[in-house]
Parts: sequence; C-alpha cells; structure tokens
Amino acid sequence: MPKSKQAAKPGKAPSAETRDRSAATTVAVAINGSGGAGAITAGGMLLKAAARAGYYGLFTRAVGPQIRGGEAAAILRLATTPVETAANRCDLQIAIDWMNADRFAGELNLGPDSLVVANADAEDAPEVITKSGARIVSVPLTKLAKSIKGGRPNMVALGIAAAAIGIPQDAVEKEIVDTLASKGEAAIAASTQALAAGMKAANEVGASTPLATATSDTKRWIISGNEAAGLGAIRGGVRFVAAYPITPATEILEWMSPALVKAGGSLVQAEDELASINMIIGASYGGVPSLTATSGPGLALMIESLGLAIASEIPIVIVDVMRGGPSTGIPTKSEQSDLNMALYGCHGDAPHIVAAPTSVADCLFTTQWAVHLAEATQAPAIVLSDQFLGQAKAVIDRPADIAFIANRKIETAPAEGYRRYAITADGVSPMTVPGTPGGQYTADGLEHNPRGTPSTSPTDHMSQLDKRAGKLTGFDYGQHWADIEGKGEIAVITWGSSTGPVREAIETARADGMKVKLIALRLLAPTQPEQLAKALKGVDHALVVEQTHSGQFLRYLRGEYDLPAKVEHLCRPGPLTYRAAEILTALNDMR
Amino acid sequence: MDTSLATEPLTPRDYKSDIKPVWCPGCGDFSVLGSITTALAELQLAPENVAVVSGIGCSSRIPAYANCYGFHGVHGRSLALGTGLKVARPELTVLVASGDGDGFSIGGNHFLHACRRNIDVTYIVMDNRVYGMTKGQPSPTTEPDWADSALAPSGTGLRPFHPLVIALASGANFVARAFSGDILGTAELITEAIRHEGFSFVEILSPCVTFRPDEREWRNMVHTASVEPTDDPSRAARRIMTDDGFNTGILYRGDRQAYTPLTADGTPADPAVFEQEFEL
Amino acid sequence: MSEATEITVVQMLARAYAIEREAQSRYADLADQMQVHNNTELAELFGKLAEIEGKHAAKIKSRTAGAELPYISPLAYRWPGAEAPENVDISVAHYLMTPHHALKMALAGEQRAVEYFQDLTDRAADPDARALAEEFVEEEREHVELVKKWLEKYPEPEEGWDEDHDPPVIQE
Repeated sequence: MPKSKQAAKPGKAPSAETRDRSAATTVAVAINGSGGAGAITAGGMLLKAAARAGYYGLFTRAVGPQIRGGEAAAILRLATTPVETAANRCDLQIAIDWMNADRFAGELNLGPDSLVVANADAEDAPEVITKSGARIVSVPLTKLAKSIKGGRPNMVALGIAAAAIGIPQDAVEKEIVDTLASKGEAAIAASTQALAAGMKAANEVGASTPLATATSDTKRWIISGNEAAGLGAIRGGVRFVAAYPITPATEILEWMSPALVKAGGSLVQAEDELASINMIIGASYGGVPSLTATSGPGLALMIESLGLAIASEIPIVIVDVMRGGPSTGIPTKSEQSDLNMALYGCHGDAPHIVAAPTSVADCLFTTQWAVHLAEATQAPAIVLSDQFLGQAKAVIDRPADIAFIANRKIETAPAEGYRRYAITADGVSPMTVPGTPGGQYTADGLEHNPRGTPSTSPTDHMSQLDKRAGKLTGFDYGQHWADIEGKGEIAVITWGSSTGPVREAIETARADGMKVKLIALRLLAPTQPEQLAKALKGVDHALVVEQTHSGQFLRYLRGEYDLPAKVEHLCRPGPLTYRAAEILTALNDMR
Repeated sequence: MDTSLATEPLTPRDYKSDIKPVWCPGCGDFSVLGSITTALAELQLAPENVAVVSGIGCSSRIPAYANCYGFHGVHGRSLALGTGLKVARPELTVLVASGDGDGFSIGGNHFLHACRRNIDVTYIVMDNRVYGMTKGQPSPTTEPDWADSALAPSGTGLRPFHPLVIALASGANFVARAFSGDILGTAELITEAIRHEGFSFVEILSPCVTFRPDEREWRNMVHTASVEPTDDPSRAARRIMTDDGFNTGILYRGDRQAYTPLTADGTPADPAVFEQEFEL
Repeated sequence: MSEATEITVVQMLARAYAIEREAQSRYADLADQMQVHNNTELAELFGKLAEIEGKHAAKIKSRTAGAELPYISPLAYRWPGAEAPENVDISVAHYLMTPHHALKMALAGEQRAVEYFQDLTDRAADPDARALAEEFVEEEREHVELVKKWLEKYPEPEEGWDEDHDPPVIQE
C-alpha cells in the first residue's frame, strides 16, 4: 500500500493559500482563550452574525481536557459559498491568552500569510506561534474590556474579528442582543460597547482579512451535524429513543429528547448501551420506529444485540458518531476508524445496512434515509457520523424535503397460519405488531423456520440466511448510495467527513484544468459493485482518502470491489481532519 | 373447547401455544407456565395484548409456549427489551421472564434499573439456583456449599445474591416470592403482580429436576408467609433478610407511581415545526 | 372450604366438570412432554388417560340437561390442595417414567377426587347437592378400582429404571 503523501511538491498547480486578499471568498478565523474567557461563545456569535449578514460558515471547537476553565479555541471558516471543511490555513487568530494554546497549533495551522492579534495584557506568544511566520500585532484586550463596566475580553475579540472580516456591526449587535437577552440590559450594553471597542482597535492596528460581499439570498439554517441527525430521525418517523450519554453523540439525545416528546414519542435514558439497544429493539418490535446514538465504545457494547435485531428482523437505527479510537481513544476528536466494526463487528453472518453522511447537511438526509431503509428492509442500519460532522455548526442552504419516511410492511390482518418469517420474493416478510389478533409470534435470535420456531435444520438456516442477505442486496437504493461528481481518468474515492476536503481539493484541481471524478460513498453496506464499476468506467488511477491508521476503507474497497490498476492511498488517523491542501497535493502528484 | 358459556371466557389453555415445551419432565417451569396462563385467564386479557419477553436459559424458552406476542432475546437483556416495548406501547401487558442466571448475573444491572425506574411490567424469575441450559453451573442464587458443578467442585463459597432485597432497595413496587409447585397460589401472586401498578417482581422457586434433584425437598420447605404484605419498605426488608428463604406470598406492596415517560399535551407536533430553531 | 355448605347442584356440576377438564388438560400436557422426550409408551398412556377424563367431562356436561354451567375462574375454586384434586402432580414426571409411575399418579389423583366429593357429602347443606356428591363419590371410587386393576399389569420397576448413560446436552 503506497505511503500517504507528506510534503508539498513545487509545481504549477495553484495552492489554496494564494489568493487575492481583497476578494477573499473564504476567511478562517479563530478566537482562543482559557479560564472561562468565553472564546466559544464569541465564536458562535460571530458565526450567527455572519450568517445573518448573508455568509456561509463552519464552526468547530478545539478544547483542553478540563470541564470548565480550560483552554478553548473557536475555529471558524466564513465564506460566500457553502463550506464543508476546515480551512487550509488560519487567516486570523485572536488570542485572549496563550495558556496551553500550542495545543491548537496543528489544527489552526498558521502561516506567513496569517495574522495574529495577541492580547497585549497577556503572556508572550509561544514559540510555535512566533515561528509560524505569521504577522503578530497586539491589542490590549484586557485593558479595553476593563475600561467598560461589565466588559469582557471575548467581546472585544469578537469586535476585532468582525471588523477585520467585514461583518456589519449591526449584525453582531443583533446577535449580542439575542444571545444575552436572558442576562439583562446591562450585559447587553457592556458587550455592545466592548464590541465597538474591539472594532475600533482592529482598525487601529490594521487588522484586515476581509471577506467578499455576501451574495446569498437563499433560505439558510445554522445547524450541527448532531442536530441534523436528530432532525432527520424525527422526519424519518423515529418516535422512540433509548440511549446512554457518550461523547460526541450526546447532543443528538439532548436535541431529540424534547423534540420527540413534541412529536408524540419519548426518550429513555438507559443504564448502559446494552440496555439502549435492547430497549429500541423492544420498542421497534412493538411497531415504533426507534433509534439510539452512541460512539465507538458504545457501539462495541451493542454488537451482540445488533445481531439479535438482524436475526429477528427488527428495524433499528444506530447512529455512531465516531471518535478517535481504539478503546477510550480521543473522545473529543474525529476519526473514521469504526468502519471495520460497523461492517464486520457481528458474530455470524449478519448483514445489515451501514450508511455514512458526507457533510453536516447530509447528516439530515442520511439519517432520515437510514430510518427509511431500516424500516423497509426490517433490518438494523448503522449511520457512521463522526465528531467533526457531529459537533461542527454549519451555515447551510435549507435542505430539500425528502420523501423518505418509515414505511414498514405491517401485517394488519394475519390469516390462519400466519408465518412471521415467510419466504417472500423480496425477502421482506409482513410483520405483525403486538395488539393484532391472530398475529402472535415469538421473535427469536435463535435460527428459525418461517413460522419463527427455533430450528437447527440446514434448509431453514440457509433459507433464512439467504432471506436476510437477499432482502438487503435486492433492495433498490437508487442514486443515493454515493455522490458521484465530475468526469475524468482520475477518481478520488472517499466517504464520511473526508468528503468535504476532497470536494474542495477537486474543485481547485478542476479550476486548473485537471479532470477528476469524485466518488463519495454514502452506502457502505450492502456493497454496490455494479454501481461502482459503472462509476469507475474510464478511470485508470484512483486516490483513496480516509481518516484511519490501518487503512480500513482501502481494505474494504479491495475486498468488496474492483479498483483500477493504479491506486494511491491518503491514509491518516485523527485527531486532525484533512485539509483540502493535503488532498490537492496528492492529486497533483497524480498528474 | 367450550366452557358452555355464551360469551366463551378464555381459559388458561387458550393462553398456551401449540408448541410443546422441551423442558425436562418434572421441571418446575411447566407449573410456572400453568400459573402464568391461569393468571392471564383470571384477568381475561386478550392474548394479542400480552407480550412475554425473555432472555436466554431454560425459563427463557417460555414466550414460545404462550399464545401471546413474545420475544426471546439475548442473555441478560430481557428487562431492557420489555422496558422499550412497554414505553413504546403502554397499553400492552408486558411480562418479562428470566432465570436466576439471566436475571441476576449478566442481567444484574438491568434488574437494578428496572426496579429503579418502576416501569409497569411484571418480572417473573424462575429461580432454580443453577445454570440449567449450560449443564449445571452455580448461579448467583446458588448456596455457597453446593458442590455438584465441575466449575466449582468445592462449592462457590460465595454469599448468594438476594434478589428480593435488592428489588426492594432499588425501588420495585411489588415484591413476591412463590413456589412453582403451588400452581394456583403462584397464579394468584402473578395475577396480583400484573394488577399492581409499577414494577412487580415475582421470584418463583422452580426446581431443576435434572441438575438440582435435591430441590425436590423444596416442596416440604416452602410455607405461606404468616403476615400480611407490608407497604413499609424497611419492614419488608427486615422480614425478607431474616426469613428462611422459603416464605411465599406478597412480601411488599408499595404505592410509587409507575414510570411514565414525558408525553406531549394534545396532538403531536408536525415535524416541520422542528426546523424553526435552525432558521436564521 | 367454607362455601361447601352452601354449594348448589349447579355449582357442584361446575366443579365436577372443571375437575375432569383440568385432569384431561394435565394428562394432555404430560402426553406432550412424553412425546417430546420420545417416551412413546407413556405418551400413549397419558393420551389415553386424557381421553378418559374427556369422556368423564362429557358425561357430566350431559347431566346439565342443556343448562349453562356457571363460569368460575380457576382461582375462585379454592381447591383444598394446590390445584384441582384429580390433577396429577406434574413435578414428579420423569422422561424415563414407566406406566407403573403414571398409573400410581393417576390412582392418587382419583383417590383425591374421592376424598374431595366425600368431604362435600359431609358438608353440603342442600340435599340434592349432597345426593349428587354421593353419586360422584361412587363414580370416583369406580375410577379408583379401574386404575388399580390397570396398575396390576405394571409392577414397580427394578432399580435403574431412570438410568441414562448419556450425559445432559447443552442446548444454547
């Protein structure tokens, strides 16, 4: 397997760093601080204000291990068009202080074109910052804040950012009012004044990283991947959730809990993940579309019962918001290394659906689709999201309404001799739900005959295995199994959150005349060999991009599909997500 | 089969399926099946509105033998299955069946939390103080000196789990001990357990004729509790912790409200409503 | 049984019918158990006993002369023992049991039925009910004799009748 690309090669290909500063369509800004500085709050407000002003954006956070008072960085990318991935380089970093801030260096990636606004009243910048080549200016954030009654440095920083980027003052003021409404008039006034002080200070030091004028007039949302997954679940028809909190999936549960109640459903906090999955199996057996959300360690606990749902043909959806593994790993960072477990974790031959969203917005579609697929095939579906998608807040165009909704084949009038697991043409047998007279059966993890009675007979085992596999392979997944964009002899094959940076890299490469095709899988199981073969027609060189250490995705592709003769492999584990520049470098090597 | 009545009330036999149990003749679980079906007949519940949910073990085979909806789940998770089903379909009568291994060993954690949640289900554990399905290992309720298992040839030496006390301490709303040999007495207990709101736990001493032939003695050791059931948990706890382990009857009957998940007032909202919070 | 004194003819018939039906059901269950465990001889024997009980039940039903028997729920009967008197003890079954064992169980069941109706003759206040109880005592006594005769064909088996050289099998 080819080693992943490391160093950038010189060449005529444009890099993402060179651009006309006066017409930047995207600006990356970070605000960091520690000990309750409120960097994250400031970042969130900046995103919202920018969105209101007509911009798109992506907001992620990087934090220390403390629960409160730790070092934190709000990392934003604002743009005139939708963005799905982190910037290649941070254009503007405003540091309220430098406590443990070298932790963020890799993620922010400052360079000679970057601007750092340091707090004149705080300690000196660490070496990693000074050695980055960035221009460093100082603003007395603390003094400015203190000069205003109730003023806080993070609001001054917000002002600097807004001015430097060109976010209208009134958009930010409105955001201050909205966010601090509950804290009272005094707080609002203090923050508004601090904002103004920051904006003035920015102009004084010449901090300027302007964004081109916003042009969007479409209906837009601000949403995180986790929220989008929750919304997709509800739209898909989920009305019961049982779950155990785990980073970074807990926000799905927090959002869904009141929403489910409003929608006429309910959420139970279970005592552990073993209970979570069994509760949703029980509820689904009762006829109610059900879901749980977890991360890698939780899914590992659920694997045995996942097999139960498969064997007893009960639809459930498990959202796995992947994080750094193995074991406890890196809970607050993203990785794509649960692929093996999601695909192959079960004992026995246990076919099920595995789907993965390719962007924050796609978390809604893919989760809703997964509910539909699970219900239609009476099988479990795992949705592989990840920490990056799950916890990033994005400004997106309002997603199109989709028709996918739970539509289980229910038997409402069972005839004499009703057989729950009868062999049918498409492999899906009409299911009775408790309460239906004459439809009683015992669902079982034991292998069974069409009636559901336990059986060890070879014919029963074979025919039920065929049924459970065939109902999935025979299902028509339509064009949603992958996002296939562009034409070319070079194709980039990827999945999940790696899709965002890949897309951006391909865009840049195409702008320079390179013909590259994107194939981003959304459906990982069951495999679609015919479809991929079609997509790879004419492709003689593929670049496989994934965020794992052991190359799980490439192994999967090689095992399940035919790849072109020449394959490059960009394979890096978390905690850092890919930047478009890395992928672009790999693409340039393939010219 | 007719009972010569115009309205044809359901008899216990109506709650039995046509599937013949594979339990060893002499097994206490046959009697428990009789008690459960008698209780259901006493309550005249429509079989399609009853669900029997179980884990793994000899006793967990019971759902298929009842003419109700059933789920034979994985080892130790019957209470979770039953909880999910009951919360999603509160109008059903949910019976959860386990054995002492399934319920108190691998299922121990779910036992604590089911009691704590006080979900309105009836939990029937057929306690034979052995792992029968896997050929006779000690279970959490096995006496410390039982030495007939290859896995513990000199006995476990461990203090047995005390499920009734733990149920009480964890918040179960109804706690009873029964003996399978007393089919009708057990049926009465199960009837009361189903009627009683909240988590009702009935531990049924049910001898294993194959691996614990010594349990034939149980018929001579069980006796009905001589006092009325109490609603005072501490009194119940003291009684249960000091009795001889063969005291049958309702040992505790509380009045905690059953778990009721938060539900919306009025009509469920249209999913379109949820996007408002994301709109700019 | 305190209500024994007030028992009416109709209630007596209902109880007698229930006793036979329960016994029939019990023998049918045992027949199934024996069949599942490949003890064909006992499966047939219990099946026969079930059939006989069914006939007894039908006979009692025919005495109602078309009148409806009151429905009494199983728990309301208040049998003197653990269950209906003629029900054989299901917990002493054994997959290798012989006809001797089964018929001894049946004998005990019939004897309990005799005692049950005997007790009712002693306590029933209504003369018609008493007379009916006496009839049932006689019938059950006849059954006792029949089973005794049947049992004569099957002396107690030698020690080792329950020996199985194969060890138990793990199923799950």
